[in-house]
Parts: sequence; C-alpha cells; structure tokens
Amino acid sequence: MFAFTVARRYLFSNPSQTALLIVGVALGVTAFVFITALIQGLAIRLTDDVTANSAHVSLEPVTRVARVLPSPDADVESVAIVSTFQRRQIRAWASTVELLRSQPSVAAISPQISGSAFLVKGEAVAPVAVTAIDPSGLDAISSISTEIISGDASLGADGILIGVRLAETLGLSAGQPVLFRTDRGVDRLLIVRGIFQTGLQSLDERVAYLSLQTARPLFLLPEGVTNIELKLTDPARARDFAAFLAEATGLRATSWQEKNASLEGALTAQAQTGTLIQIFSLISVLIGIASALSLSANRRRGEIGIMRAFGVSRRFIAGVFVLQGLLIGLVGAGIGCLSGFALCSWLATLIQPDGSMVLPIAPNEGGYIAVFVLTTLGAVLASVIPARSAARLDPLEAIQQ
Amino acid sequence: MSAVLEARGIAMTFRNGDELTNVLKGVDLALEPGELVALLGASGSGKSTLLSIVGLLLRPTAGTIAIAGERVEGLSEVERASFRNQRLGFIFQFHHLLPDFTATENVAFPAAAPAGGITAPMRRRARDLLARVGLSDRMDFPATRLSGGQKQRVAIARALMNKPELVLADEPTGSLDRVAAEQVLDLMREVNREDKATFLICTHDEHVAARCTRRVTLKDGLIDTEVV
Ligand SMILES: Nc1ncnc2c1ncn2[C@@H]1O[C@H](COP(=O)(O)OP(=O)(O)OP(=O)(O)O)[C@@H](O)[C@H]1O
Ligand SMILES: [Mg+2]
Repeated sequence: MFAFTVARRYLFSNPSQTALLIVGVALGVTAFVFITALIQGLAIRLTDDVTANSAHVSLEPVTRVARVLPSPDADVESVAIVSTFQRRQIRAWASTVELLRSQPSVAAISPQISGSAFLVKGEAVAPVAVTAIDPSGLDAISSISTEIISGDASLGADGILIGVRLAETLGLSAGQPVLFRTDRGVDRLLIVRGIFQTGLQSLDERVAYLSLQTARPLFLLPEGVTNIELKLTDPARARDFAAFLAEATGLRATSWQEKNASLEGALTAQAQTGTLIQIFSLISVLIGIASALSLSANRRRGEIGIMRAFGVSRRFIAGVFVLQGLLIGLVGAGIGCLSGFALCSWLATLIQPDGSMVLPIAPNEGGYIAVFVLTTLGAVLASVIPARSAARLDPLEAIQQ
Repeated sequence: MSAVLEARGIAMTFRNGDELTNVLKGVDLALEPGELVALLGASGSGKSTLLSIVGLLLRPTAGTIAIAGERVEGLSEVERASFRNQRLGFIFQFHHLLPDFTATENVAFPAAAPAGGITAPMRRRARDLLARVGLSDRMDFPATRLSGGQKQRVAIARALMNKPELVLADEPTGSLDRVAAEQVLDLMREVNREDKATFLICTHDEHVAARCTRRVTLKDGLIDTEVV
C-alpha cells in the first residue's frame, strides 16, 4: 500500500521527533502496566491473605426465622415461629459431603462441629471458639499442623490444640490437662496436645481444635455436624459456587466474599482508583499522538496541497496520517508493554528483610492485551482528527501559502 | 481535432464578507492541441484564478469548461480529483516536491498514489522523464538535495508523468534565476514540441511570453488581446 510507504517515510523523516513520540507513548503504556500490575498484585495479596487460612464457602443449616403467613383475611396476619428447640445441625452431612466430593472445583471439605466453650485452669477461665474436625482434615482449611510450636498435632480421643496466646493466658503448656466446659454445661478434662502459632490473632487467641469424636458427646451431637467448610480450586468463583450449593443442598452457603464485605469494598475502591489512573495515562498518550500528528500535518500543508492538486484522493491523505498513528501506537504500545513487564518483574524481585515483597506487584497481570489494543485503537482514533484536517485542506490555499 | 480546452463565459466573484470582487467577468479561452500559450496580465488581474478554474481546483461562479471535449461542470469532487490526476499536469511557482522522496519517486507520485505503489514501468517512465529534463545523474537524490532549478525541473517531469492533455503552469520560472529560468523554459518548449502537450503558462515575464506560440492577456476580468 503506497499510503503506508508514505506514512513510514514521514515517520522516518524526523527520526528523533518520532523516537520522542514513541518514547512518550511507551512511557504512558508503562505507567498503565505498572499501575494495573500493582492494583492486581495488591488485590491478589489481600485475597490470598484472606482465603489462605479461611474457608472459601461455608455451609450451615438455614437460620430459622419468623415468617409472615399469607392470610385470606387481609387484616389478620398470622406469624409462624418455626421451632427453635431443634438443634441447628446438618443431619444428612454424609450425603452432602458425597455431593461435594463429586464437584471438581472443590479442593477440600471439612465437616465440623463449631461451638463455644470455656477452658478452665485453676482460677482462670477463657472462652474459646471450638472447631471440631476429623483429625485427618486438620489442615483442610487453615494450616495448623505446620504451625505447632510445642507438642504435636495428634488429637487422639482426649486431645485439644490451642493457640499460643490462649496458652499464655491460661499458663498452659503441651501435655497438661485442662478442664473443658461447653455452653451446654458438659465438663471434661482434655489434654493440651499441641500449641500452634499462626500469626493470626483471632486464631491464636480464641480457637481450639478437637476431633469430631471428642466433640460429639460434649456438644450433644451424636451424629450431625454444625457446618461444612470448603476450599475451592478457584476462590474467585466462591460466590457463584455458594449460590449453586445453596440451591443444591438447601443449606445456607456463604462465600468468603460475603463474609469479608469490607475487603470487597476496599478492592473495588482500589480498582476504581486504578482505572482512573489508567484512563489518564491513556488520554495523555492519545493527546500526545494527536498533537504530534497535527503539527506534522500543518508542517506538510504544501506537500499535501500539491498531492491534492495532482488528484491524490482525500482517503489517501487521511490514510497516511491514520497509518502514522497506527504505527506509533503499535510500536509505542509494544515497547511500553515490554518495558512495563521488565519494570514490574524487577520490582517483584525486591524483597524486604522479612521476606515479603516491597511492592505486592503481579508482573503477569499488567493488562498487556488491554493496553496494547486500547493504545493502538486509541492512536488510530487520535490520528483521525489530524487526518481529517489534512484530507480537507483546500489544495489552492495550501499551495499558495 | 477538437480543442484541448474550451472555456466559455468564465466568471468568478470572490466574496469577502459583504464585499464582492468580480475577478473574472466572462472569459472565453480555447486551446488547440500542441499550443504553448502565455497568460499575461497585471498582478491581481486574475491569472492564477483562471488557471485554478481551468485546472479544476476552483469552481467558477459561472461559465462552462470542456477539456478534450469533455464537460466538467457535473463532476463530483472525487471525479474532479481523478480528472486532475489523469488528464492535467501542474507546475507551480514553488516546486512543492515531497522532501522525503527521491527525484524519481516524486516524479512517479501522481501515478503511484492511485495505483497503490510504484511499479517498474512507472519507475522507468519517471527515469525517462528525469533524463529528458537533464537530471540523469540526480534520479535517486532526495528532493531536498537538489538546487532550486533542479527541483523545478523535477516538478516539470512530475507534471508530465501521467501524460496529461493539458499542462498548467503558474509562474514556473518565478523563483528561478535567469539561467535556470531559461533551461526550464526551453524544456517546456521541447516537451511541448515533442510530446504535443498543450501548455497554459501564467507569467509576468515578457521573456517567457516571447517563447510561447501565443499570448493571452487578462485585463479587467476579460481577455484583452490575442496575438498569434
Ligand atoms: N480566495 C480569494 N478570496 C478573495 N479574493 C481572492 C481570492 N483569491 C484571489 N482573490 C482576488 O482575486 C484577484 C486575482 O487574484 P489572482 O491571484 O488570480 O491574480 P494574479 O493575476 O494571479 O496575480 P499575480 O500576478 O500577482 O499572481 C486578486 O485581487 C485577489 O485579491
Ligand atoms: Mg498569480
């Protein structure tokens, strides 16, 4: 295509100016990539922190609520209180677990009895949130066995695992007995088998692990469980999957996103800030291209006029400028993506003394395709203005100047 | 043989706000094939305006134009551009070569742009034309490295590229010194004789006019005298 040849010649005619323009575009694209990778990296770090040690979906019995019953007599409404004497438990948990096992997106299943209790040691009493699990599934939701700092993770028939803060509060160490009192008034002496330190205060201060076997008589649940906790292969899909499970099991299914609504809000706000910066970096790139091409079109009025006088079509002239925009966009976006990736990759190697990243940047999440396509398309759009004005030049006026 | 150009009753009125300027008031002009006509007249008499109208760069207020027997009033902008490209050649006072292209590429441009590229035959013709204008040793020079006279000779070669029936030249020697102007003029005469290309040349220069086969003078918006 001859317009392409002309466009290329025009760009090479002033190499330093073209290089400067391309550097400008590339810098804008680099900024875009950096901010995208940073926002994504932050989001990944935050969600990882949240999803690593907690369930992605929790299944519980439906909360029983008072219901307003429709009445044929419009003025009188009857309210049905659904029985609350029944224990809130999942009786048919075995079949639910079976269903969950058949789901490829489920990574781990942990049927639990959750309840509250007190640990009593001499005069000291501390409330604990009890999580009773099958001992083989101790690490299914939170990694506990690797965090044991004293004793071991074998629960056995009368064992209990507690966090390091709780142990400090009660002055307990591994191997010692402690009195366990449930909210149902059942007492039993258990042995502290292990003490864990996860670094998460809520866990280390409040949570105690028992085996299901041990917990059943203590919580008067001979067969049921109170909840089933799940890990998914893709935590991002938890919301959809929870909706599916609620439908399939009739249980209340809560995704980690729902439990961490404030995190969601923070991530959304962060993403919006990122979008704003992305838009501004793109706009400045496009303005740069439009103004550079407008200057070029103006400087070449005489040439354009003579081309028009010789009957070269408007489309050809417009094509020359749009192609210049396209070339600048393609090359600038390409270089910008490469340099953005290089920058993010380098930043990702910067490690703080404690081993964490200085910037939680995700070099692979720089939005490369998006920025490449947007910049290239944008460059074409930005060149439309100078292209139109060049194509509309009146040959006579342009030549006489 | 029919006239190359037949313009009848060409009138041109420019409007500047409320002010109207009647530059041309009914010009009749006919050119026969192979003529080399000088268009004379005082500055501001409307020579360039007439040339632009005849060259389909400007639409007259009134009048009709036929080029090689074809009426052009009804043509659309796109058709006029294509007509200029195929059938007319232009030489302006300032060469307006494309600075990023070589002499050969500049000459071939009017053929290359609509065709989508410079083909081998186009290149050959461009080189033949450059040889004709005495630039055999400058064919691959960038346009910016040529002298003023050389550039104007390239511009002449470019005007001839698509074998136009009518070449319109507006002060083609206006920006050249005496010697260069002579060369350019001789060249146009030669092309005119050998190719039977018809030339209409706007000029102030008696020297130029003296070398033409006919002179036409514009005065008060009309053709004043015709001297064969
Ligand atoms: N676009 C325009 N708008 C208004 N007036 C114009 C326009 N173009 C030309 N004119 C007027 O038309 C008249 C003729 O101009 P033209 O350029 O044709 O003269 P010319 O004979 O070529 O003069 P010169 O020998 O100086 O080149 C001038 O008075 C000029 O001011
Ligand atoms: Mg003039």
